[in-house]
Amino acid sequence: ALLFAALAKHKLRSRSTFSAQDPRARLSRRSTGGLPRCNTETGEMSVIDILTRVDAICNKYDKYDVEKQKNLNVSGSGDDAFARGYAAVDAEIEAALEKAELASKEKSKASTVALNAELRRTKAKLLEEVPKLQRLAIKKVKGLSTEDFAARNDLVLALPDRIQAIPDGSAAAAKQPGGWGPSASHTEIKFDSDGRFDDEYFQESEQSNQFRQEHETRKRRQDQGLEMISEGLDTLKNMAHDMNEELDRQVPLADEIDSKVDKAASDLKNTNIRLKHTVTQLRSSRNFCIDIVLLIIILGIAAYLYNVLKK
Amino acid sequence: MSSDPDKLVAKADKLTKLTLTRWSADWRNATLNYEQAANAYRVAKKYEKAKDAFEKASKGQEMLTSPWDAAKHMESAAALAKELGNWNDVADLYRRASELYVECGRAQPASDALGKAARAVEDHLPDVAVQLYTDACSLLEEDDKDQMAFDLYRALTAVHIKLEKYTDAAAALLRLGLAADKCNASNSQFKAYLSAIIVYLYANDVKAAEKCYNDCSQIPAFLGSDQGRCGSRLISAYSEGNVEEIKRVAQSSTITHLDHAIIKLGRKLPTGEVTAVKAGTEEGEGLDEDDLT
Repeated sequence: ALLFAALAKHKLRSRSTFSAQDPRARLSRRSTGGLPRCNTETGEMSVIDILTRVDAICNKYDKYDVEKQKNLNVSGSGDDAFARGYAAVDAEIEAALEKAELASKEKSKASTVALNAELRRTKAKLLEEVPKLQRLAIKKVKGLSTEDFAARNDLVLALPDRIQAIPDGSAAAAKQPGGWGPSASHTEIKFDSDGRFDDEYFQESEQSNQFRQEHETRKRRQDQGLEMISEGLDTLKNMAHDMNEELDRQVPLADEIDSKVDKAASDLKNTNIRLKHTVTQLRSSRNFCIDIVLLIIILGIAAYLYNVLKK
Repeated sequence: MSSDPDKLVAKADKLTKLTLTRWSADWRNATLNYEQAANAYRVAKKYEKAKDAFEKASKGQEMLTSPWDAAKHMESAAALAKELGNWNDVADLYRRASELYVECGRAQPASDALGKAARAVEDHLPDVAVQLYTDACSLLEEDDKDQMAFDLYRALTAVHIKLEKYTDAAAALLRLGLAADKCNASNSQFKAYLSAIIVYLYANDVKAAEKCYNDCSQIPAFLGSDQGRCGSRLISAYSEGNVEEIKRVAQSSTITHLDHAIIKLGRKLPTGEVTAVKAGTEEGEGLDEDDLT
């Protein structure tokens, strides 16, 4: 034991990484062997650090613990990671199943719900483990017979089903059709008939026939109507274009008319003014008075002459 | 003043004749008399005499250096000649009137006069009519009044088609297109081009039609226009020899918007053999006189 502790200390000093200590996660970091380090600033280690560190060390050197190895049973071969991992997962599944039994027996709904939620969480975590196990299963380990190797693959493949089988209150919806595998989280095209595409599926039913015919007739009628509309629009377009050109033609003519009429109007104005001048000249009141006065003078002269002659 | 036109004419003649007693002709009075006489004759429906009176009145106005009135009288004379049916006279009188108008510097009435002349004689002297139309169009084009020329070109085309001179008709249509181009009347321009293509096809000259189409396609707007598309469909239908397609295109609304004469031609397509590769050398069908009313 003393020897082991010394070795551990030596290993500790050479290690450099620290990571969170989750008992399960340790399984995956086996190869990196992340161990906690003491706080470099104060040089102290908390109790938790010590505990975790010791745990890690023990796990690391479990292989030297002959007694413990004898307790491992699953595949019978001692020192490979797969066996350990598989054993762990197996234990988890057993525990989950027990919990499920408890949940089903529970009277109070709230606790049932809580237990079910826990079960689901556990299942999710286990499902994450499965791919790693798969990778391990493929690795060849010395001292392993070919039959055992094949068996390992099968065991790993069977794991997801076993995990899913753990009843967690939502088992009804969990069943997936064969062949899709553990890809429940992906979005796939969902077929109504569970993927059975046999002859019957593609047969035309009466309903679909009728529907198609109706569709065709409606479409034909719409096409006819649209054709009529299109012809009307064509005519309108043509007329609009012609109107446009006609108006273009009329524009310079209108301009000419405009200028000519302007000239005529100004001419008229001039003429009117001159006319007014002439008329005022001819028939102004001053001239009238002069005319009347002269007339009176002439009449006076005539009267005088008349008087003279009468005498 | 006696209202007897004969007497008026006699008097006016006397006024204008130079004799020993008269050293210079009194055109003003003479013209007045002539006008009155002419009107009286027209009312009395003595067209021959009225025409003569108008001619003399016009000469009088010329002497009075008012070409406008002179031209007006000439036109009246020509209208009366039309009533009489002296087609040559009609043509001459209208020409004279047009010249007088040009003297006034008014191109529009000049070409109008020629147009009236052409319309009057086109049934009887079509070649003369062609000449008149062409002159009228050139008058307008010189004066940059292309817009007015469209109608004249269209009438010219109709005359050519009646004479079955299809190349001339197509040429007239292309000139229409040119005039339209000058005043940016794109619709008329494209319609003219499409009509030209149809005329060529009617004359069974597919190569010329294709050449025409290619020339017109130089104008990018034509390619993308309704008329351009219609033209291309016709050409491709001809080169494929697809009679049904030709008939279908001929019924389409684009063709319906063209001139009457062209529509009639279009409905009669295809003429002669329609071979897939090259056009046949058969003549086009003779025009039915009844159709072209």
